[in-house]
Amino acid sequence: MKTFNNFTNTIQLHKTTFCRYTLVAPNKEVQLNFPQLLQLRQRINDLTQPFNLEEIIEKENFVLLFVADKQHLLYLDVTQLLDLKEEIICFFSSSKLVLI
Amino acid sequence: MSYFCIKAFTMETIIRKQMIIHPEVMDLLNSQIALEMHASASYLAMASWCDQRELVNSKAFFYKQAEEEREHAMKIFEFVNDNGGAAVSPEVHNINNDFDDLRSVYETSLEQEINVTQSIFKVFKKARKEDDFVTEIFLQWFVTEQAEEEDKFRSLIDIFDLMEGMPLKMIDERLPKE
Repeated sequence: MKTFNNFTNTIQLHKTTFCRYTLVAPNKEVQLNFPQLLQLRQRINDLTQPFNLEEIIEKENFVLLFVADKQHLLYLDVTQLLDLKEEIICFFSSSKLVLI
Repeated sequence: MSYFCIKAFTMETIIRKQMIIHPEVMDLLNSQIALEMHASASYLAMASWCDQRELVNSKAFFYKQAEEEREHAMKIFEFVNDNGGAAVSPEVHNINNDFDDLRSVYETSLEQEINVTQSIFKVFKKARKEDDFVTEIFLQWFVTEQAEEEDKFRSLIDIFDLMEGMPLKMIDERLPKE
């Protein structure tokens, strides 16, 4: 299992095989295929748009997120949501030292 | 949160095996799909406006334009999926159904085409910056197409200038159906 971030994060993404990935959340591990990973990226990008983020903070301060074709439900507070965004950015970035 | 992120493996060994297009270019292509679908819906509104007023050439023209814009969106949509990405079916809202007159319909169309062109340029530039050659070559057709579209609308607005003061129905009869 390969880790893509050298800092301990509350949520991590790992590559397990050629086309399988593992999302390690505080309470569970979720297996993802590539389309599911792209779907997750899309959802996280939407949720972390400034307008949407502001709305989340003003309301419940957390999101419930279906992942892996609705097989799993994740509870993410705003910090975890932002951590996951960072993790996904790293995962999809090319190889270089990146200051985020 | 602010921290350094060092990738253990390159994009070439992780994501690259799954998709050939750059993820950020894919995001812009999805925005482009949304813009093209918005343009299609907008042309449909214009076609309806013309249809209700028996402007038969203009209505045929805008129905055709609506189809063309949807075809453009579909072309990008399939390109994204065919190259390992995830195309997103867009929400379409804020469609204007009110127009002052026929000339303003065509002027709005030209403005819309210019917006689409600028957006294509933006994706093209991003693809070039990220060395996404597949998308860059794919978009070349769109660059040419947009130049033709803009030229078409400028020519149509010229007809309004040439026929200023003539009855609306007579102007419509001089306008092409496609």
